[in-house]
Parts: sequence; structure tokens; C-alpha cells
Amino acid sequence: MFKFALKNMAIKRAKIILIVISIVISASVAILAYNVSEQVDDGVKSTAAYYDMIIGPSGSSTQLAMNTMFFTEAPLGTISYEYVEALEKDMRVNLVVPFTMGDSYNAAKIVGTTPDFLTDKELDEGEMFDATYEAVLGAAVAERYGLSVGSKMVTSHGLSEGGHAHEATPLTVVGILDKTKTAYDNVIFTDVETVWATHDHSGEGEHEHEEHGEICAILVKSKSFNSYSQLKSEYSEKSGLLVINPSEVLREVLENVDMSSQIVYILCIIILIMNIFIISVITLLNMYDSKKEIALMRLIGIGMNKINLLYIIQNGIIGLISTLLAFGASRLCLSLMGGYVASMGIVLDTARIYSMELVIMAVVFVISVLPTVICTLNMSRKDGIGES
Amino acid sequence: MITVKGVVKRFQNETAIRYRDMVFEDGKSYMLLGASGCGKSTLLNMIAGILSPEEGSILIGDEDMTKKSQKEKDKFRIERIGYIFQDFKLIPEMTVMDNINILRLERVDTSGADGTLAALGMLDKKNKKVKHLSGGEKQRVAIARAIVKKPEIILADEPTGNLNFEIGEAVIRQLMEISRGKTLIAVTHDERLAKYFDCTVDMNEVTGGDGNV
Repeated sequence: MFKFALKNMAIKRAKIILIVISIVISASVAILAYNVSEQVDDGVKSTAAYYDMIIGPSGSSTQLAMNTMFFTEAPLGTISYEYVEALEKDMRVNLVVPFTMGDSYNAAKIVGTTPDFLTDKELDEGEMFDATYEAVLGAAVAERYGLSVGSKMVTSHGLSEGGHAHEATPLTVVGILDKTKTAYDNVIFTDVETVWATHDHSGEGEHEHEEHGEICAILVKSKSFNSYSQLKSEYSEKSGLLVINPSEVLREVLENVDMSSQIVYILCIIILIMNIFIISVITLLNMYDSKKEIALMRLIGIGMNKINLLYIIQNGIIGLISTLLAFGASRLCLSLMGGYVASMGIVLDTARIYSMELVIMAVVFVISVLPTVICTLNMSRKDGIGES
Repeated sequence: MITVKGVVKRFQNETAIRYRDMVFEDGKSYMLLGASGCGKSTLLNMIAGILSPEEGSILIGDEDMTKKSQKEKDKFRIERIGYIFQDFKLIPEMTVMDNINILRLERVDTSGADGTLAALGMLDKKNKKVKHLSGGEKQRVAIARAIVKKPEIILADEPTGNLNFEIGEAVIRQLMEISRGKTLIAVTHDERLAKYFDCTVDMNEVTGGDGNV
């Protein structure tokens, strides 16, 4: 039966290829849209979950969160380093990480912080910075500019190319991070002291962003929810400070993104419904074409049960191949999209499968087989051959 | 033995054919002659269980075909009847062997296909697609498919209808040779082929149409 089904399919290969392509396109779009949306959501939430509080100068919450979490946008301004010192002494705090940004090397932004900021990152080579003018590079920065451990970099003022060069205070590369496929790959990390020293040395103290003792933000991990609540309340009351919970802010951002992804979902559903219609029509036309073949088989005495089974096997094979190809195509697109999404700080894992994807695949499979089952069952109900 | 008793077949246009009683004996060959529309092919189809009469009975041995369900008729046909169709009823895109092996869907033993094709002079073409065969060759394939399962009864509906006389005569000779000892009922218009059959039945004499049955 299976062998005959394959032979029968080989005869109709052109038509079958068209059916498979049609199913693969629609199903892969649906699978891809769902997977990307879920992974971006998960990625943003896990990035934001590590710190429960970010303190920065007054301004946009989103800008503060995006700047400190994904290094996008410009800092809001600066706040005094004294807040860091105060928080470090506070018993309610587990971890305090200063964050400043204002210089760049070519197009790569330089973040002044402490090694704690890179606690969960692995070094590919070299060691973590622990002295002034030492720097650790993101993997993509090292690769792009041909830098290795021991290389010297002359940084420049500002976050875009063309700023004043700090020629007197070049940074020395002491370590290179492992590739993370996140925004960390595109950034240079150094000590806060390095940023201050660079500007003190070049007499740029008048620049607001890099004054000694000033930083752009403070990332805080509290000891408990109570501690977090108290700290947030206390620091929110201080004049000129903005205190945010990164998870809350990013959730708000995601809600806006969700609006867009809902539109994408709706479009996907429309595409899917159109394709269900097309697949059903193609399958039914295929069955209509097969009516002559079915009549022939019935005339020579092949029972309708066997004919049903034959066509269900054929369409089952088509459905299975299409579904698997759709999954493969979605993964291929996922890996192609990986680089683009990684620049926003999210790693797309091609091996990650959500249960809803399996549901979509199951639905696609059923849709590919169902019209045949209905059609053949309808034929089976008609007793008699010549008259039917 | 095939017994046709009191059979009436009505068609959708309300015309009807009333068959007189007939008996086809085992192991003999019968040629059904008659004008178009006299019900020759319809009779074959009713014997094969493809059509059902509105009245009367068709007994094959002691089994009444008119009492069987379509499923039972299909089973009976695939197991015990070899039917050769006028228009061959072959799948053109498939090879000769695939057209015979289609019977395996119903677990019919087609292991004798090579021998049958050899007897019909078609063995060397067994892997050719049917669409590349001539009319005579297609008819031989149709015969091979009908007799490979060694049926008790062979029904042939205009087996030479699409062939010229010389090829048709050769096909009939081979059919007679290969179906020796079986009950063969063949429909044809060509009286010149009557000499090959044991009996000739003039269907004009055994049927009548009145449209008001």
C-alpha cells in the first residue's frame, strides 16, 4: 500500500510539489512569527530580571532602561557617584553597579562600570579589567576592529564617530568576552575610574557627562522585596532622580511591541486561513482529478476502504513532509534573523521549541489530510459504482 | 454457472431493459452480440456487481449478486471475476507491472504476472509506461490484469472495440488460449469473431426495452 502510494505520488509530483510549497510557506510563517515573538519576550524579561532597580537622572524611564540594559539610545544625563557609595553601605542592597557612557571607539560605545557588571559573562581570552585604562571588549568589537589582548585603543569623546580623540590616554585591551550574540558583543567595558581619568587628563571637565564623580546610572539588586520597596520609595523622593524597575518598564515596552506583534499575528492568521482555503481547494481539486483513478480502481474491485487508506496515506505523507519542511524553513529564517535580533540584545535559539509551535504543526498536518478524508468518506457513502 | 433470472434494469432516463432468463455454463465461452443499447455491457456490469438490477436475480453458483452489498460485490469481483474493459481502464502514467500490481492493494497474488505477460507477448514491455503502448498492447495489459489472479469467470466488454480486425483477432485468439477452462463472456459487435466462441448469444432476442417497466 505504502509503496503504491509513493508510486502514485511520483506520477503527480509537479502538483504535489506545488501543494507542499503552499503549505510550507503558510505554516513556516506562522511558526516563525510565534517563535520569534516568544523568544524576544523571554529574552527581554530575563535581561531585565537580574536588577530590580535602576537609578538615573530624571527623564524617560524607557530611555534609562534601554540605555543600561541594551546600550541603545543616549544616557539621560549624570548623577553623583555619592549615591553609589551610599548604596554600597546600605544593608538592604546585595549589589550596586555604577554605569556610565559617553565615549566611543569608532562606532563601539564605551561603558564605564565595575567587573560586577560582567559577572555572568565569560572571557574568551585575557582577564577582567582591574586598573585604570584597561578595557575588555565585546567579541564583535574585537573582530570588527582587529583588536586583541595588548592592543591600544585611542577613544574619542561622544557616542558617535568624529568626536575629540583622547590621544594622551589610550586604553589597553586586557580581555575579550566570549561571543554572546547580544548587545554586549558590540560594547567596550572599562572601569568607571578610566572614564573619569580620561576626561580629567584631557581637560574636558566641563562636559557634563564625564565629570569626575558623575555617572549615568546605578544598577541595584536589593536583598528582598521589602528592601526594594523602601529603597525605591526613598530614592524616588530625592530631587533630580529617576528610579525604575527595569522589568516593569520593559514590560510596558513589550506591551507596545505586543500591539505590533498582535498585528503580525492577525496577518499570520489571515495568511494561514487563506492558505487553509488554498490547501483545501488544491487538495479537493486533486481529489476531483483522482475521481477517474478512484472509479478505475473501484471497477477492478479495489474496495473503498483500501482506496480511502491509499489517499489518506498519500496526503498524510504530503502533510508530514510539508509540516517538517515548514519547521525547517522556520528555523532557517530564525538563524538568518538571529544576527539582526542579537543587535537588540536578544539571542534567538533555533533549538528552542514552544508547545504552540507543535500545535500549529499538528493543525497544518490535519488540514492537509482532512479534505481527503472528507472527500473519500463522501465517496464511500455512495453504494454502487456505475450509478455513482 | 451463471443464472440470469427475471432481471430488469432501469436507467435514469427512465428507459429500461427487461432481460430474458439466461444460463451461462461453467468452462464455456460466450459471445454476446447485439445492437447498441440492447444491454450487453449492462449485463456484464450486473454480473460483475458494478451495476445492480432493479428486479430479478443473478446467481453465480449459488451466490446471488443482487443480494450482496457493494463491499461484498467488490470482494467477489476482485477474487473471482476477471473483467476486461473496452477502454482498458489502465493508469497511463504507470508501468505495465504497476497496473497489474494495483491488485495487491486487495492482497491479490500477482506473482504470475511475468508468465501471463509472456503468454501475451508483453513481458519485454512490463516496465514501460502504459501511455507509451499501442492500443493492442494496452488491451493485452488489460487482459493480463484480468486473468493474472486466475479468476473463475472472465468478462470482456468489447475487447477488440478499439483495435483493427487483425490485431483484434490476434487478441481474441490469445484471450481464448489463456482463458481455456474458464467461463468467458465477451461482448462484441464483430460477428467475424464468433468462430472462436463456444456459444453466441444474440442479445436482441433476449432483451426488450419499453421505457415503462
